[in-house]
Amino acid sequence: MDNYIEFKDVSFAYENSEAAETSAVIKRLNLTIKKGDFVAVLGHNGCGKSTLAKLCNAIEIPQSGKVYVDGIDTSDEDRLFDIRQKVGMVFQNPDNQIVATIVEDDVAFGPENLGVEPAEIRRRVDEALRRVSMYDFRFSEPHKLSGGQKQRVAIAGIIAMKPECILLDEPTAMLDPKGRQEVMDTVKMLNRDYGITVVFITHYMDEAVKANRVLVMDDGAVILDGNPKQVFSHHDVLKRVGLDIPEASQLASRLRKDGLKIKKDILDVDELFEEIVGILEDKS
Amino acid sequence: MLSDITIGQYYKADSFVHRLDARSKIILTTLFLVIIFMCKNFLSLALMFVLLVVSVLACKVPVKMFLKSVKPIIPIVIFTAVINVIYATGGTELVSFWKISITTKGLATAFFMAVRIICLIISSSILTYTTVPTALTDGIEKLFSPLKVLHVDVHTLAMMMTLALRFIPTLIEEINRITNAQKARGADFESGKLLERVKAMIPILIPLFVSAFNRAYELAFAMSCRCYRGGEGRTRMKQPKMRVGDYMMLLLFAVIIAGVILLNHFFGKIV
Repeated sequence: MDNYIEFKDVSFAYENSEAAETSAVIKRLNLTIKKGDFVAVLGHNGCGKSTLAKLCNAIEIPQSGKVYVDGIDTSDEDRLFDIRQKVGMVFQNPDNQIVATIVEDDVAFGPENLGVEPAEIRRRVDEALRRVSMYDFRFSEPHKLSGGQKQRVAIAGIIAMKPECILLDEPTAMLDPKGRQEVMDTVKMLNRDYGITVVFITHYMDEAVKANRVLVMDDGAVILDGNPKQVFSHHDVLKRVGLDIPEASQLASRLRKDGLKIKKDILDVDELFEEIVGILEDKS
Repeated sequence: MLSDITIGQYYKADSFVHRLDARSKIILTTLFLVIIFMCKNFLSLALMFVLLVVSVLACKVPVKMFLKSVKPIIPIVIFTAVINVIYATGGTELVSFWKISITTKGLATAFFMAVRIICLIISSSILTYTTVPTALTDGIEKLFSPLKVLHVDVHTLAMMMTLALRFIPTLIEEINRITNAQKARGADFESGKLLERVKAMIPILIPLFVSAFNRAYELAFAMSCRCYRGGEGRTRMKQPKMRVGDYMMLLLFAVIIAGVILLNHFFGKIV
């Protein structure tokens, strides 16, 4: 797999920040994200995870160091819209990113801005809406949809621009469990079936578990990096930066402390169930 | 109360009026408004009224919807009518008391004014009920595009209208949420004198404005992430087309204008 997004020694601070010395949000970060990967970014509020996303599609430009997207330097203003076409972004509040009063018009907004031919826009819009299973709602008004449906429309609006990567900044934070599931399934499917690189910022552990790679951020730096099993085995580090540990994993570690021989890298309930059943069978 | 706002409300139906191009509907509505003020006697007014009734029936939107749009302006209609009755001069005097005299001319003017205002509301409702808001703003953008010569940024204005229409329901929802939150904190919006009630609105308005600005900020972010850079180089998915029906309607309206002028000329002017 090729490197798709590359951070080279990146530091970033917001201007007009009151506390001048401590305002660096990203500190000398080096990071590469591979093409087709599914990366979850975890961290508590203010750790720099949203800024990380904004650096990826040139909303923010680092003060020192470089960010490259598919080989393009994000500080190159002439290529700004190339970068934004390649790397789409979905925000937390679905209401504040829907532009039009009809679903299909909203999905068409991106391609229209890119100057795509009308017939091709029509084709892309229909395809994007089918991919997120919102085709039946194409004539609906966005404010009549549920949160999960709105967020899927927002995702469709991004994929109609034919991006190679999608950044999602806490896309499920304002949704109910059903909506969260819908969005997660959609994103998984886009990554698996269409090879779109996904950077998924979240504070839900059970969502991060589904990624191929998990980054844990704290104070502008990546402190843990690896597949979910590796990352979630560092209970002490996760606790220190104020993150939860998946419930199944927590229970497993307590059982292990009590002397049961349970694997160290358990992440979900089904896995734990199998493990306990296995132990009980051994005993009997 | 707020859910009664009908601006930009689209009523989905499949009718001849719905299928007309937004541009021709805008032109026809404007023409209608002009003609209704050209009517000088009952015959020409009746002609316009028949045209309006036919249009209402043709757009397959329940008549109830139109009555709902007229309801809020009835006080204004009554007010204008009364003012006209009092201030109009000329014609035969019917009653006179104190400094006020009611004349036939006054009554006629009041009647014409009332009918005109009601027609104005109903005809603009036809436009908004049968036209998707985006098509409407696109139509305006197209119609006013010659103004680009005068450096008027027509695209940005149309985009602002689209966004305003898009956020009406969102902000109404927000108002309801804030109102409930303030009520839960003991705010009282129902009792007290007018001034107190107006003052009670402040705790709703301030959070509403703050949130509206936050939304605008986020929306601007989201739009630039989707490569929005103004009207230049932008294409549209839906290409509006003027069809035979559109030209027929424009022709029909031209005939009606001629009819009104003739009726005015041959049957005398009442107002």
